[in-house]
Amino acid sequence: MNLRLLLRSLPSSHLILRSAACLVPAQERTEWLAEWQAELWHVWHARDSKSRGRFRGSSEVTNFCLGAFRDACWLRWNNPQSRCRRVFRPGSASRCAVSLAILTGISLLVCLSLPGVRSAVDLWPYHDADGLLMISSGGYSGAELPSIQFQDYQSWKTSTRHLFTGLAFYQPIRKRVHVTRHRGAELSIGRASNNIFRLLHWEMAPIPDQSSGDYSAKLFLSQRAWRESFGGDPHLIGSITEIAGQRVLVAGIFSRDSWPLPGQLDAWLLEDERHLSLLPLESKGYVLAQLPVSGSKARADEWRDLTVPREDGFADHFDCISLAQRARQPFSTLLFTLIVALIALPATTALPLGEYPRHSGRLPWPARMRRWIFFWSKIALVVPLVCFTSLDAAYATHPLNSTTGQCIQLAISFFGFLFAFRWILEDQRRRCPVCLRVLSHPVRVGLASRNFLAWNGTELICAGGHGLLHIPELPTSWFGTQRWQYLDPSWGSLFNDAYMPSAGFV
Amino acid sequence: MATEPKLSHTAAMILQTIHSGQVYGFSVMEATGLPSGTVYPAMRRLERDGLIVSKWEQQSIADAEQRPLRKYYKLTRAGVATLQAMHERYPLLKKMIADPEVKNA
Repeated sequence: MNLRLLLRSLPSSHLILRSAACLVPAQERTEWLAEWQAELWHVWHARDSKSRGRFRGSSEVTNFCLGAFRDACWLRWNNPQSRCRRVFRPGSASRCAVSLAILTGISLLVCLSLPGVRSAVDLWPYHDADGLLMISSGGYSGAELPSIQFQDYQSWKTSTRHLFTGLAFYQPIRKRVHVTRHRGAELSIGRASNNIFRLLHWEMAPIPDQSSGDYSAKLFLSQRAWRESFGGDPHLIGSITEIAGQRVLVAGIFSRDSWPLPGQLDAWLLEDERHLSLLPLESKGYVLAQLPVSGSKARADEWRDLTVPREDGFADHFDCISLAQRARQPFSTLLFTLIVALIALPATTALPLGEYPRHSGRLPWPARMRRWIFFWSKIALVVPLVCFTSLDAAYATHPLNSTTGQCIQLAISFFGFLFAFRWILEDQRRRCPVCLRVLSHPVRVGLASRNFLAWNGTELICAGGHGLLHIPELPTSWFGTQRWQYLDPSWGSLFNDAYMPSAGFV
Repeated sequence: MATEPKLSHTAAMILQTIHSGQVYGFSVMEATGLPSGTVYPAMRRLERDGLIVSKWEQQSIADAEQRPLRKYYKLTRAGVATLQAMHERYPLLKKMIADPEVKNA
């Protein structure tokens, strides 16, 4: 029997209805199932008779039965005893917390799935790299583009020995890499001096030399380039290819996809000094330098100049940027905007949460604690949400430490923190201190013209009947901030929100 | 002060359909062209809000016609009043699904 026909048979339709019935509250299940089965009988016969327009095929009958799930879900959701409804009803604290947690989770997933953003959250990408510097001719922003001529690097190797214990050069190039059995791919390659990994403390496991021929450079691929361009072929390591006119050994695969260094690189091509010296003297690249170990962290964190005298009597000035500090820059920006947003917060909203009468006898301490736990959990969820969202927006398309990326991160994180904290305070003020639900049914009381004679403002009520909130229109000496008034439990019968009329939306 | 429930166009259409004599779920679906996943939850909501009531037919009728028991729906007094208010809000409602008296005429 055809599977499709089997799925659209009458027993399958009954099975669908019985499955949907599991969602219906137990006390209504029998009647609900009887109604749907009776309706199914009519639908099935309408299909057979062909006299009625809509139910001519078995698929329509199946669709009819699948609609039972929506009906069952509606009944489950609107059941006054439904725990799910109680927990996730509109305006509830748990719904708010879960929504924030979902948003934070989504922003974290986006953060981890984008290589550029992932490298931004990698706070310490270099091991033991306190004294690592990048030499640039244009400060932070200038370090994003190759700015050091190869001839400068060549001369510094000898002239700066008293300053640095090591000096490395790399230059991003785009080349097509073709390896036997594979189609080949155009990769962004960092053509570098062969001491760069030692300088950055990146350890590569030594590989047995499987190649038979000679080679002049070693190629190290990123995990992503290896997977996407070469299908994750394990036999790639040890094979010989040709890049920029020289024979190259594919020497290893990096466990990471991106590096917090300027230039989006897919691979590293390490050349010895003899082959590297064939580069044109005017060609530009990046230069990394290592300070001597003692006190290198403090010295590297200082912004320092490198002045190189020229033969004509003038001098060239270069900036030395600490790589560790550069890697911490997104975190420093977030910390800075967080502090500025907290300072600016009182200018945008009032800080007090309102006056709540002392009812220690009625409101037990777990309920009071729950209110504060909810308040701090909102902060705990909102802070990472703003952090991840600003990083996502800033570094999804812009490289790490680029000026545009930094500006985007600065703007989004500052306004994000400011409005998030403002929302947290306002949301907390509009919630019932007992059930933590958002207060509803605002009513304006009094007249503004009689402000000095009578009370004038807005009243909100808890749908659970726990109390009223009075918010003054104009703060006065006798009514400066909002006040909460507890309602007696005898009011409870009037506030059964399960029987509140709906808006009738379908 | 009594307030008229505000119904969506779909809910008003279902109310009008029941008023026009289509008194069980399947016939409402046929008349409106709406899927079952829309019609039945809407009828539950209308019943919860007191605009319609449901009633199982007598066993003898179902037995005589050799079919399962049907659940019939009809408008309450509040439902009729709401429907009249909805006619002002949705003037085309009556043209889409005619009232029973119009049909008989």
